[in-house]
Amino acid sequence: MSLQIEEFAGNNVTIAIEDRFDFSLHQQFREAYIHRTEQGVNVILDLSKTSYMDSSALGMILLLKDHIEQLSGTLKLVNPSDAVYKVLEIAQFQRLMTIER
Amino acid sequence: MSLLSGHKQGKLALVVDDSATQRKVLSVLLIEEGYRVITAEDGARGVALYIQQQPDLVLMDISMPVMNGYQAARKIKSLSLKNNLCPLIFITSMDTDESFIESIDAGGDGILVRPFSPEVFKAKIKSIQRISDLYSQVKRLQQQQQKDAELAEQLMFGVIETRNYALDKIGIIKKAAALFSGDIQLTALSPNGDVNVLLGDFTGHGLRSSIGAIPLAETFRAMTKKGFSLAEIITQVNQQLYHLLPADLFLAAGVVTISNHDQSVYVFNAGLPDTYLFDHQGKIKKKISSFHPPLGVLSNLLTDVSVKVLSIEQNDRIVLISDGIIEARNEQGEMFGYQRFEDAAIQGVNGHSVSQTVLRQVELFCQQMPQEDDISLIDLPCGGWQQSFAVNQQNMQPLKVSDTQNNAIPAWHWDLNLTGKRLAKINPVPLAMNYIQELEGHGDHWQSLFTILTELYMNALDHGVLRLSSGLKSSPEGFAQYFSEREKRLKHLTLGFIHIVIQYYPLSNGGKIVVKVKDSGDGFDFPVLNTMPKQGVAHQQQLSGRGIELVQQLCQDLQFSEHGTLAKASFFWQNQQDKN
Repeated sequence: MSLQIEEFAGNNVTIAIEDRFDFSLHQQFREAYIHRTEQGVNVILDLSKTSYMDSSALGMILLLKDHIEQLSGTLKLVNPSDAVYKVLEIAQFQRLMTIER
Repeated sequence: MSLLSGHKQGKLALVVDDSATQRKVLSVLLIEEGYRVITAEDGARGVALYIQQQPDLVLMDISMPVMNGYQAARKIKSLSLKNNLCPLIFITSMDTDESFIESIDAGGDGILVRPFSPEVFKAKIKSIQRISDLYSQVKRLQQQQQKDAELAEQLMFGVIETRNYALDKIGIIKKAAALFSGDIQLTALSPNGDVNVLLGDFTGHGLRSSIGAIPLAETFRAMTKKGFSLAEIITQVNQQLYHLLPADLFLAAGVVTISNHDQSVYVFNAGLPDTYLFDHQGKIKKKISSFHPPLGVLSNLLTDVSVKVLSIEQNDRIVLISDGIIEARNEQGEMFGYQRFEDAAIQGVNGHSVSQTVLRQVELFCQQMPQEDDISLIDLPCGGWQQSFAVNQQNMQPLKVSDTQNNAIPAWHWDLNLTGKRLAKINPVPLAMNYIQELEGHGDHWQSLFTILTELYMNALDHGVLRLSSGLKSSPEGFAQYFSEREKRLKHLTLGFIHIVIQYYPLSNGGKIVVKVKDSGDGFDFPVLNTMPKQGVAHQQQLSGRGIELVQQLCQDLQFSEHGTLAKASFFWQNQQDKN
């Protein structure tokens, strides 16, 4: 399980989660965005390589969302597998944020 | 064996060596370091002394008669596993790789090769003792924490689970992954006989995830008891959890009301796997997927979703599950999944043991795999619940109504006029009941009054203000349709009013309450209702008009006037002590 961060020019950041997205990534995940404090930061959470996601991960995404909203930025979740999308859908996250399949 | 004196309070070291000189040398060094020392001249005696004296440190020679150092070390380590780490150091002149490897293999925590200076020996002892102290500290903290957790778990269980309603009828699985379950199951009885049930799954598991459980249980119970509707309870719980919990902690919850007299079930699924409605043969009649984010995520509930209403039959069952069942894994990493769950549940419905069958199948599937998440399920029969109005009917009849006639002035009255949008937002019935109980205390008879108030208010709201036709409710499908139409009209409600007056008359052996409910509607053909026979058997099966019929049974007098827009119900009761 791992987490990769790509920072692009300007305000764009992509955080990619590989394998399991669960509580063990808590610290790493937070560190991936917490230092971004510029207004209007755009974060893409790349779930294309995420095989499993638990409710702690949902909580971590909510914390990220709070952080970004304070900076008037945007958050987009992209390419979740069917299994991961199912978890997001049960929590009705598609009503709280943008999810691109 | 000889006990060489040292500091009385010091730690105890055991020196095992067949050479008297070596024993002496090591003992002196240890005493200088503040140890008390006991000695043994072979492995077997060493083990015996270890058992008898429980030392804090063992120094072990390797080549000894009777039992050599490796054998003694293995024996000692097998005895001390559960206790503190008692470090064991081999002292040897065999400076080979094999002896080093075998020392560690036998459970040694270190090895000192002779010859060594007293300074090196003492440094070694210090370092090994430091590790051992740290180990004891961790062990102590862990035990303390375990003790605290057990106590807290016990308290929590006392507050939450033991106060659940109808545990003999409702099947529950609760299998925690950690000592504390992040899952919570609540059942409670509403004053009108409805049964409210909640299955919740807090983020994660363990102590952190169970902190919200007590406030949740309190709110759920208190509001159910006061007769608040499912939507009101969920709104309140959501707000409470939103303010109480950190942003990454929330509650996935399925909340259900079984309403006997509506023959309906009300379901709200916020983040749980599908909720199932089974018929008596285990056929899936309906799955209700999550339609709202978990509770505590948003400051207010989404406005475009509402409680789902389904009509039910007596032998139907509602089954709620947490994701721990669906995501339980076997050795191959496969999940139990929906299909296996449904198969097990269907088998369970037919065998009248949904919870046991599902649990058995999950356990069979997972075998020895450690449980990753809390597993829980609630299996709820739709029928067989007590009809609230049947309880105290007999007690009403012998009361002499005559002595009430002179009692023209009520001891108190309560008056509320709700208008426009407020009608959609406020449920005045719990407010009124609260008021009555504040003034007059608790009593079983308030159950009936609660039903009377609810029915008259609902009647005024639905048919008066919202102008809904009860004809819609004549079929089970129509019932759900009726509720969605009602929801829609409530949302756009701007005009209209309902005026409620409650008057209380104390009587010598009980009391009387007069309830008047006036609405802004067009009224209806009330003479028909005023002459309707009490409890006509033919009406029992009808879905519409049951509310008013219920009120007629519960109170001594029900009259409609002003074209049916004013209902006046008189309700009498006898005090408990006067009944016998």
